[in-house]
Amino acid sequence: MADSPPNVRLNLANTPENVVVVREMLSGVGEAIGLDHSDLNDVRTAVTEACNNVVLHAYEGDPGPLEVQLHLASRSLGVVVRDQGVGLPGEPKSLETDTGGIGLHVIQTLAQTVEFVEGERGGTDVRMWFKAPQASALVPLRADGDQARTLALPGRPTATICIAPISLARTILPRLMITLAAHAHFSTDRISDAQLLADALVEHAQAAIRGDKLSVDVSVEPRDLEVHISPMGIGLAQQLIKQTELGELGGVIEQLADRHEVLHTGAHETLALRLSDPR
Amino acid sequence: MSTATMTRSLHVDRGAAEDLGHLFALWQEQRDPRAREALVKRFMPLTRSLARRYDRSSEPFEDLLQVASVGLLKALDRFDPHRGHSFPSFAVPTILGEMRRYFRDCGWSVHVPRGDQERALKVRDAQETLTNEHGHAPTVSQLSQYLELETEQVIDALQATQAYESLSLDAPRPGGEDDTMTFGDGMGSEDERYELVELDATLVAAIRHIPARERAMLHMRFVEDLTQTEIAARLKISQMQVSRLLRRSLDQLRALTRDASEV
Repeated sequence: MADSPPNVRLNLANTPENVVVVREMLSGVGEAIGLDHSDLNDVRTAVTEACNNVVLHAYEGDPGPLEVQLHLASRSLGVVVRDQGVGLPGEPKSLETDTGGIGLHVIQTLAQTVEFVEGERGGTDVRMWFKAPQASALVPLRADGDQARTLALPGRPTATICIAPISLARTILPRLMITLAAHAHFSTDRISDAQLLADALVEHAQAAIRGDKLSVDVSVEPRDLEVHISPMGIGLAQQLIKQTELGELGGVIEQLADRHEVLHTGAHETLALRLSDPR
Repeated sequence: MSTATMTRSLHVDRGAAEDLGHLFALWQEQRDPRAREALVKRFMPLTRSLARRYDRSSEPFEDLLQVASVGLLKALDRFDPHRGHSFPSFAVPTILGEMRRYFRDCGWSVHVPRGDQERALKVRDAQETLTNEHGHAPTVSQLSQYLELETEQVIDALQATQAYESLSLDAPRPGGEDDTMTFGDGMGSEDERYELVELDATLVAAIRHIPARERAMLHMRFVEDLTQTEIAARLKISQMQVSRLLRRSLDQLRALTRDASEV
């Protein structure tokens, strides 16, 4: 599983609120593949345990990266929760020290298989497979490098989201935008706008993105969201903005985002959007 | 078994493992209810912690705890202390199994769990209360504090409203008399109606398919630049409803123009 490219990859910091981001991503995937509510809850619960471990123990209380990969296969769903922390000396002890020492038991009960593997760059991979009768294998991210994101946000983005194929983003990206807007202390007004914006992006991304992988970097500041969508073909970012126009209603992007800008970086373009909620 | 021994096994921590084994023997071989009570008491924190893992589901926590407790009782009956495993390693799968069975039996695969719907309505009402109080729409953390819910539950409720027709006071009336109006009609502005002529024919056709009130709503948001809360006040509906209807109309518009361009 770790060798094949994932369908969804989230790169986050190991904060408790980011565990909610992971859970919302799982709900979006569940909706996309028609996963039964009860199976979805099992996946969410087990993955939450693995993420909580990264939040609480992997970096011994320090901040550090949390990566979650999702793989869709025929009738099953794989999730890798990865950290670059202290690692698991022999036994997955850190999971055992979770509240009541039952995190590991929970994962073992809910996942069909679970492996604890030492990561390439240190740290630990928790690799879990779940049954998902409705799932089928989807063409995953190709060459899962970071070459698509040559234009990073100033500082570190709060969340990097990669989704392939792009059609999978329809149920995932709006949820993630709602969640990140909530973390940015947006009012429900602007949270809903963020969702409408994500809908429009997903609808038109297919035609603008080079390849079939959508990469979204989001920076969350109080009352401020900076969203970078890439990699778009030359001239296609502007075309996407145009495509969201609804005649006299104006453009969804132009109207709902406080600022939009096309950034050029060599072979591709990045659409940069800023949403704020000054109230 | 004397009462004195029983008391010792309940109150002395030293040699806890032996005491546990003793309690299991008392319960499983002699059906001593006091031993079972002591075991339940001992493992209730574990049970509670497992129930809490599903607490962000749509079931009330008390119900979850009750189901988890049934799982604990089953685990107490079936655990074999002589096999050398710890009780938690046996009890966790048993308790979780009980909870998962409960979710399946409760028809969780049914479209939208009722608990979610009720929560969505609560969030909607709280949104209105807080908007009136503060003069602007609340944040998710304000809502979660006010309703004593987890942030995630509020986020889920905001999403859930998109799915509920029951929250709608204004089901679309395609083909209704007022639906033949052009977009600007509801606004009472001659200019807007005139401008519509200049629009792409596909879009005009698409906009005609959107019910009049939703067209008005789109106009207020995108042309007049009103916030959703302001639109809600003007139309005397909730902001959540505005959110849902806007999303639906935009979806519809996109679908209609997509279909047209594919022909």
